Amino acid sequence: MAGRLGVGASRLLSLAGVVALIGVLPWLSGRSPELSVLRARSAEQEATPEALASIRADLGLDRGPLALLRSWSGGVLRGDLGTSWVSGTPVGPGTLTALGVSLTLMGLAVVVAAAVAAALCAPALRRAVQGSPGRPSGVAGAALVALPEFLLASVLLVVGAVWLGWFPPYGWDGLHSAVLPALALGLPAGGLVGRLLADAVTAASTERWVLTWQVSGASAGQLVRALLRRTLPALTTQVALVLVGLTGGAVAVEQVFAVPGLGRLTLGAAESQDLPALQAAVLVLLALSAVLGTAAGALRVLLLGRAVRTGTVPVAEPVRTWRRRDRVLPGVCLALLAGTVLAGIGRDPLTSAHPRLAPPSWALPLGADASGRDLLARVAHGAVDTVGTAVLVTAASLLVGLLVGLLPRASVGPVEVANAAPPVIVGVLVAAVAGSSLAGAAVAVLLVSWAPVAAHVAAATGEVRASAHVRVLPVLGVGPAAVTWRHVVPAVLGPVTRNAVLRLPGIALALAALGFLGLGPTPPTPEWGLLLAEGMPYVERAPWAVLAPTAALVTTSVLAVSLSGWSRARAPFHVEPRPAAPV
Amino acid sequence: MSAVLAAAGLERTHPGTRPRPWARRERHRALRGVDLQLAPGERLGLVGRSGSGKSTLLRCLLALDVPDAGTVHCDGRPVRPGRAPGLRWFRRRVQYVPQDPASTLDPRMTVGALVAEPLRALAVPDDHRAAVATALRRVRLDPALTDRRPGELSGGQAQRVALARALAPAPEVLLADEPVSGLDLAVRRQVVELLGDLSAEGGLALLLVSHDLSVVSRLCPRTVVLDDGVVVEDRATGALLADPHHPATRALVAAVPRLPA
Amino acid sequence: MITSTDTAGSALEVTDLVVSVGGTRLLHGVDLVVPAGSRTALVGASGSGKSLTAGAVLGRLPAGAVATGSVRVAGEEVLGVPAARRAAATRVAAVAQDPLAALNPLVTVGAQLATPLRRRAGLRGSAVRARALELLAAVGLADPERVLRSVPGELSGGQRQRVCTAIALAARAGLLVADEPTTALDLVTQAQVVDVLREHTRGSALLFVTHDVAVAAALCDRVAVLCGGRVVEQGPAGELVGAPASDHLRELVTAARAAA
Repeated sequence: MAGRLGVGASRLLSLAGVVALIGVLPWLSGRSPELSVLRARSAEQEATPEALASIRADLGLDRGPLALLRSWSGGVLRGDLGTSWVSGTPVGPGTLTALGVSLTLMGLAVVVAAAVAAALCAPALRRAVQGSPGRPSGVAGAALVALPEFLLASVLLVVGAVWLGWFPPYGWDGLHSAVLPALALGLPAGGLVGRLLADAVTAASTERWVLTWQVSGASAGQLVRALLRRTLPALTTQVALVLVGLTGGAVAVEQVFAVPGLGRLTLGAAESQDLPALQAAVLVLLALSAVLGTAAGALRVLLLGRAVRTGTVPVAEPVRTWRRRDRVLPGVCLALLAGTVLAGIGRDPLTSAHPRLAPPSWALPLGADASGRDLLARVAHGAVDTVGTAVLVTAASLLVGLLVGLLPRASVGPVEVANAAPPVIVGVLVAAVAGSSLAGAAVAVLLVSWAPVAAHVAAATGEVRASAHVRVLPVLGVGPAAVTWRHVVPAVLGPVTRNAVLRLPGIALALAALGFLGLGPTPPTPEWGLLLAEGMPYVERAPWAVLAPTAALVTTSVLAVSLSGWSRARAPFHVEPRPAAPV
Repeated sequence: MSAVLAAAGLERTHPGTRPRPWARRERHRALRGVDLQLAPGERLGLVGRSGSGKSTLLRCLLALDVPDAGTVHCDGRPVRPGRAPGLRWFRRRVQYVPQDPASTLDPRMTVGALVAEPLRALAVPDDHRAAVATALRRVRLDPALTDRRPGELSGGQAQRVALARALAPAPEVLLADEPVSGLDLAVRRQVVELLGDLSAEGGLALLLVSHDLSVVSRLCPRTVVLDDGVVVEDRATGALLADPHHPATRALVAAVPRLPA
Repeated sequence: MITSTDTAGSALEVTDLVVSVGGTRLLHGVDLVVPAGSRTALVGASGSGKSLTAGAVLGRLPAGAVATGSVRVAGEEVLGVPAARRAAATRVAAVAQDPLAALNPLVTVGAQLATPLRRRAGLRGSAVRARALELLAAVGLADPERVLRSVPGELSGGQRQRVCTAIALAARAGLLVADEPTTALDLVTQAQVVDVLREHTRGSALLFVTHDVAVAAALCDRVAVLCGGRVVEQGPAGELVGAPASDHLRELVTAARAAA
């Protein structure tokens, strides 16, 4: 009872904390926004101290965080989302229009995702009904659909709009223009959900009741319905997280295809330091996540029926198969990346010593970019920047996750909030407060990447504490602190570290996504996401300027996905990439 | 003769599940006023069906659970669950052999470290190495096994390591919870004989908890039958087997599978 | 030693069954007969290959297992055919050690019991419910109405084991395989489940897998002794327990008599 109350309090406090953070965003902002507001309002007014002070007073920046929070939350409760610092008009109507566009796009993406997920899980269902459950979903097939949205959007834009010319490259004008954005957003989400579903169905189909039902003469339809009902409750939370994650993906996709949705609005507000617009957009995104999370919880209770009250629904044991050749794919990716770094690390990434957009040649194996810089050198140095930062972020998230995860009940709320927050949205907020930089991007990724580690630590320590050799310790006279530090932590440290290291490529991709959106390091840093963004305008004249960073990022994505499959097959304490926490 | 471990009027109610989401929780009365006396060096059997309250009683006797009413005394001192240092005197006197003892050995620790664990945790002042060697000798284990890990032991050896760990602080009382259920008959016989020898050699009091009367009858001169949270019989084991008074006892006696002669 | 039996009316006939898992041979040619209407016990210590034999009969061998030889249910070869692809007459009903896993945790007992009554027994409408209540009462469940509404998590271990037995009976399979169904239960519940199996398997054959000779002798009319992946002895229960021919059975009988 006390445990449930603790969990509830933790959730409530975390949510209140996030809302308060959004409310005091203008106060948090370290970059004095009055100058940019002045510039935006009138081009000719002099930036005198008096003019700046009057703007500060106008914006209420000197009133302190509590007063800011009070006036902002009061406005929100009255339905007033604030006034734009840039245009001076209310931000509410624009936010709602953008929300409509984004919801339409996300709806179409959900259709795409549902189709992909159904296609991926159909073979597992067929095998289960035929009584020959096979191994879980293949890694290679899933890797193609698990590319990050910004990369897939760029590839689709190049192939579908520029080369084939089937679809418009940008804009929001009817269904035709929504096809590519919906694909870019829906394919990765469907790939992830389909993979989780197929693995869960495979695990559930090895449970003994399936045999009981088959001997009872249950029809194929009955069995499929029972299997889906058996697997879906455990996945509702993860599906909700994938849907919430669409909001983060929408930022990149809307930016690439110039769709006037909430994501693009958020990004624009961060760039122009229009904090009221940003506050409104992020608040709407948060409300959307809350609605989705609640709906997922309600759906879960509905699916579980009576069984939810007994609290004894066994979790299907995941099928763990591990073949030698599963090592080949990550091995090849690692070798490719290492080879590129070795070949290019000795070259100069910053000097414009070559013809602009020079094609690949023996001297310039990957060609040159629009400023005449060596692309091989830039990709190789970018690997060091991106992966080096990712290593630091991984180490920090391991430390934070370990400490927080040791308090399983108190950490539920923060873990859920951080888990649900897409790194891109957090990156936008951090950039709005502190400006765009590599350090800012690293902090933004760290703010979300500790959560899966903490969830893993909480699950693994729970498992270790439940094991017979730890439960016996109190009777032997071992106190709670000694149980934690002498027995539990040493047991989980190895698996948790291994799992955190396997997340490293994913963290590198998140950093690249921020770089691509201009929320990371500034030019001329050779960061991968930035390289891709710089090459996009020249994709028709010089496809190699896009191909080089794309190839590096695709290789990293494949590495990330194949390693995540590896960790699921090997980890003694099994936790899904985005674990389900609520009960 | 004063009791080394005594329980008086123990009551304990567990919250159950809700039959409907809006309904009150069903309450399950696991113990309804249980008295129990264990004399020094005595071997006492505690039998009952699963759900009869055996486990709850054991948890209360081990100061792992707080009874709603009633007391537990050890050597005349009251025993209350609390912080580990305050209970050291009690844990040195009363030790525990869990169900499936082999599974309670941390696979990453050596036999020596495992057996020394209670000595360290209870801050026993004696020489730990000597105490470990003594404990291993008492359970008839070769001291050469000290550096092995549980994975390198046979099933019977692992059972005895768990027993040696309980014996290391030289307790006066051993509480054994279904120590042989799930074991092959051959290993089962070894463990039962060892428990009998230990009790006879060292004057160790033994409380043997089981749902199987045949195990209890081989070791314990006196048996307590627990049914639905109440002690329904407390008599000499032979008399109890020959002439069970209570229906629960009769069911337990009848349930022991016997081969036709 | 293998007793020659007239196998014309066998519910189950296992001949020279060899199973390897991951390259290790675990069953070395098992020969086993369960005559129609008989209750046969398969007795062996842990690691003797009991569960693997039961798995081959049920059509659920562990992943990576390779099986050769012959398993005939009601005269038809079923080795290597998963349960879902077997003809209705050769599907084998199962009662397992862990009855919670053998029932769908999200579906009420009533719904799980209705499927075999509709599909196998061909009942319709109110007859389904009436027969379900009858079966639950027959396996000794005190409040069949309440059990029918419950999901498996709301029942005790002994109650779940009886529900599994009721579903197996409702499926009207010619052969029921019970793999250590009483190991996780206390002795009183074990005795009750054994009674239920004795009373209600009169119409079909039973293969009862156990490590306990005493329980086997109490329930079954025939006993087969498995040791090291081979059947070392099989025949009528009374004869075998009274005068064990193999060393292994003699040890098991001695240990059981000493324990009682």
